[in-house]
Amino acid sequence: MMDQELDRTLVSIFNEMEKVDYQQKSPRRLRVDVAPEALPGLLELLKGKASYVHLSAISCVDWIEEEEFELVYHVWSYEVNSLVSAHTRIPREGACYLSVYDLYKPAGFFERDIYEMYGVYFEGSPHMEKFILTEWNGPPPMLKDFDAEAYVQDTFNWQDYQPDWLKDLEEAGGGVEIRPEDVRR
Amino acid sequence: MRPENYQAKSHPPSNEYELFIGPNHPGIEGNYAFKLRLHGDTVIEGKADAGYLHRGFEKLMEGRLWIQNIALVPRICVPDPVPMEVAYSLAVEELCGLEVPERAQWIRVMQLELSRLASHLFTFGGHAATTGMYTPSYWGVADRDLILDLFEELSGGRVYHIFNIPGGIRRDIPEGFLERVSSTLDYIESRLPDYDNLLFTNQVFVTRAKDVGILNQEQALEWGVTGPNLRATGLTFDVRRDDPYLVYDQLEFEVAIESAGDAWARAMVRRKELLESIKIIRQVLARLPDIQGPVRAPIPNPLAWNVPAGEAYARVESSKGELAYYVVSNGGDKPYRVHVRGPSSMHAVQVLEWLSVGARIEDVAQIMFSLDACPPEVDR
Amino acid sequence: MADISYKDKGSILNPLKNLQFFGRKPVTEPLGPRPASKNYRGFHLNDWDACIGCGTCQKVCDNAAISMVRVPNAIEDPVKGIRPLRPAIDYGRCCWCALCVDVCPTAAISLSREYVHVCTEDQIDSYFMLPDASGMHGKPFAEGWAKTETTDLIDLERQEMPEMAPESRSDNFDEIVAGYDDQQALLEASRCVQCGMCHDACPTHMDAPEYIRAIWEGRAEDAVRWMYQSNPFSHVCGRVCTHRCETACSIGSRGTPIAIRWLKRYAMDKIDHEQVKAIAAEGKVDYLTGKRVAIIGAGPAGLTAAYDLVKKGHQVEVFEGLDKAGGMTRFGIPEYRMPYDKLDQDVDVITSLGVKIHYNCRIGQDRSMDELQNKFDAVVLAIGLQKGRSTRIPGSDHAQVRAAVDLLRMITLGEKFEIPKSAVVIGGGNVAMDIARSMARLQRQEYGEVRMTVTALEPRDQFLADPEEVKEALEEGVVILDSRGPQACTLDEEGRLNGLCTWRVLSIFDENHRFSPSYDDTDEQIHEGEIVIEAIGQMADIGLLGEDLTEALEWNRGRLQVDENGRTSEAWLWSAGDCVNGPDVVHAVADGHRVAASIDAYLGSQESVEAGA
Repeated sequence: MMDQELDRTLVSIFNEMEKVDYQQKSPRRLRVDVAPEALPGLLELLKGKASYVHLSAISCVDWIEEEEFELVYHVWSYEVNSLVSAHTRIPREGACYLSVYDLYKPAGFFERDIYEMYGVYFEGSPHMEKFILTEWNGPPPMLKDFDAEAYVQDTFNWQDYQPDWLKDLEEAGGGVEIRPEDVRR
Repeated sequence: MRPENYQAKSHPPSNEYELFIGPNHPGIEGNYAFKLRLHGDTVIEGKADAGYLHRGFEKLMEGRLWIQNIALVPRICVPDPVPMEVAYSLAVEELCGLEVPERAQWIRVMQLELSRLASHLFTFGGHAATTGMYTPSYWGVADRDLILDLFEELSGGRVYHIFNIPGGIRRDIPEGFLERVSSTLDYIESRLPDYDNLLFTNQVFVTRAKDVGILNQEQALEWGVTGPNLRATGLTFDVRRDDPYLVYDQLEFEVAIESAGDAWARAMVRRKELLESIKIIRQVLARLPDIQGPVRAPIPNPLAWNVPAGEAYARVESSKGELAYYVVSNGGDKPYRVHVRGPSSMHAVQVLEWLSVGARIEDVAQIMFSLDACPPEVDR
Repeated sequence: MADISYKDKGSILNPLKNLQFFGRKPVTEPLGPRPASKNYRGFHLNDWDACIGCGTCQKVCDNAAISMVRVPNAIEDPVKGIRPLRPAIDYGRCCWCALCVDVCPTAAISLSREYVHVCTEDQIDSYFMLPDASGMHGKPFAEGWAKTETTDLIDLERQEMPEMAPESRSDNFDEIVAGYDDQQALLEASRCVQCGMCHDACPTHMDAPEYIRAIWEGRAEDAVRWMYQSNPFSHVCGRVCTHRCETACSIGSRGTPIAIRWLKRYAMDKIDHEQVKAIAAEGKVDYLTGKRVAIIGAGPAGLTAAYDLVKKGHQVEVFEGLDKAGGMTRFGIPEYRMPYDKLDQDVDVITSLGVKIHYNCRIGQDRSMDELQNKFDAVVLAIGLQKGRSTRIPGSDHAQVRAAVDLLRMITLGEKFEIPKSAVVIGGGNVAMDIARSMARLQRQEYGEVRMTVTALEPRDQFLADPEEVKEALEEGVVILDSRGPQACTLDEEGRLNGLCTWRVLSIFDENHRFSPSYDDTDEQIHEGEIVIEAIGQMADIGLLGEDLTEALEWNRGRLQVDENGRTSEAWLWSAGDCVNGPDVVHAVADGHRVAASIDAYLGSQESVEAGA
């Protein structure tokens, strides 16, 4: 069990590398910030030397104002029961990164997902193709500059209801005054 | 009718053929497709095809207030919605530094385990049906309905409970609820021997399920398998015990394991977990009357609720495995990013593709169901 | 954990076990809907008497399922905060999460235990429902998910306002209310559901939802910017406004309304004065129209009109009879409620835009109305209500019977007068409280004890004064007697006033709702007092108009007759503020805007006529 004190193996790994910031968020949660070029190496050490064999997820965050994507690799160790979240940031323009599929098989799913939803290309990933959005030809939809609600408004018609009660109210001078879309922020 | 994006190979070898399973509930709970290439009765290649249930939940959540998302998250896994609500709430609570009242934590555990029971009852019925046995599915669904009755009474909704919110739960349990939970548990426990007779020790099922879809521990770890599917390979790991959340560290329960790693072992782990969940709920029933107090921490006006900037990775053990929510706030009134890591995104895709190779056609449906995959977790 | 043996193939007789199922109760589900549980989240119910049409349900609805529908015959009352709008639900979008129930400020919405609705495609209109208390299909179904104390998502409790304790405030004129700090303001602002009832109720329609939201977002400067859209007396209104916004606030229907006034005060105090001046100057035109407007009276109405007109490029001169601007907000309201330096800031913002104020200049004495009419293109009469009304009871013409407004003015001006050891106030409004509390302070300073009695016609629960005023007056040692009707001032043998005689009031209005108090003359009390102070209302001092103009103008029950824009029957003369509407700061501000707009339109049209000629 990893308690308040950081696992010694981890410390030695971090000391081996440059450009690594780490922060213990809670007894079983560790945040690591690492440069993009150092991340694959860090994961390799985490898996090979510190038993972090389970890639729980790769999350992508679109920081559009900073013009960056943040990639977060959540890896878990079944031996010391701790989760390391390794954060790195890559440029948003023409985003491309290295696949970690050779290290972690689950990366195949997550990398394809991020490719589809954010357009980040992972070199060496086995499935850089469509999966969920097979018939979608628009931009990667999870990008912050893709406005899904505007797309829906432009593409689909709302059901136009004309129930009798509404007709009666309209005749009497009433009717729908504030539509739901008027108050969406 | 073939979907538009389907393209058959132009000249397949004459001894090979393609089979398209799905996309309407292809033996798993939800719309999903599985494309097979077969040589005779043997699968040469399996290709998962998702997207039939994609509703863009993660995108939708970025456009909704923190509280509004509670109505959205249970939809990501219909058979087992409570872990979705709890994981989302846990993440938001971590971001806000909200202290969930103890009573709410115990009630959350009760819901989580009831939900696990309901989900497992659903799953073993479905699994049995893939081996040609339909009675267990009727029984499983009928008994699951009793748990849905409890959820209806508790939350006002049978399937989409929308009951756990950041800060706790929406209201306290109704009067006499614990007694009714207790009698339903007694009933379900009394049914376990029936299920054993009908299914788990039934030689038809044993013969069909044994040695099908074998996954050893090393492979399971390599492919990111979690939950009952991982425990069926002999690894004693459970998020509830090893990365405890809520009050699981105050509860006594065993982590059910099997060693064979086949479809039968996976079914058996769930069968054993039925009893463990019943035990856990009984502990809650015993403790809850002594834990009085509020069931929700004070939360801000939902229309003016800014969550402090930060990120949180909340992880729970759902009936299907490791479920995690990665929630990022930029300090605004809506999430900046919510990433849902459903266990099925592993089980229903790469694991299934890999496991089906070499399997016989009649076992494919069983492999799918024995992994207990939930397609909306893949599609989101 | 015991393993379940799958290898045990069992006995050949095992199938006989199945016979036991004949003895078991079958699982039977009845056809037709089964009754739903008590908390069921079914179709909506809406209590139309409780629903105020605030639209909060619509805002919290995650699926955009709620439209607000105007119902023509429903009650519309902006002052009370009631709109003739009701939520209509699109069941094609609703997901029955019941957040609308948990957030509803009035607890009007609940969900029923009804859950079946079936229709064919041509009946799809039935998906759009205007729920009332009778439910989806007009059939009685019990209430399901409804609001309880613990499920409420609305914060009903106001952030408490720190203020001075009675013992530390009752011998001085220091401001009582401390004001919110950043955190309190943020928390208070966060309670707002942005329904806008406050905006509708406010006479000058301040954008309160916007400035509250800006405060919540930590943008106090933007909040001030929103305030100056509609109110250049934001310091004053942040302290002494009659806050109709709070009366209308939807949160107030079950809890304490948002402290809108205190939030305004917070933002104004937060922002540096020079910055406020810069914000107020935004939108001022960079040319002069060459038109001149005279405004008589530098109170809220006159200066608001001046503010608007000067921003439109007109040249504005204000004539004030006293040596300071502010009108009744300065000379009628005690300093412990309205510190003069804050009032000075409001005035400074306005004069910084180029408004010229002539102090100590009485129209009718120093200048004549004729002169103003000839020298200016338009004239605004904003003279307020300066003269106290008298009860005209026997003895009320005695020199020791004083008008509250006169005394308040003397206190502000620092004029010396003999502090009475004891005094009786007639009246139950805010002016009565102001003079009683001011006098009590002076008594405590002078004699170390308070002997102030307030006698009001109304019973306590119908007092016209704000409840806080009454409460604070009591805390400061003022004796307040309700339902006492003044009958006569009593004199001693030497002709000195020594008290007030009152009878108990039986009723104030007759059956036709006319003011006609009836008394119980057997319940007579004499209240000791060296002076009697009348605080029963004020009237305008219209002597300045002169006989000819008074004759020429149209009047309505002693008040100057004006049209909806504040224009009198004389084309060049407008009138605004208390002298038209009765006493109320924020009304005066609204009035100032109104006449300014009318004058601007008039001056603009004049110009175009000239340009055309």
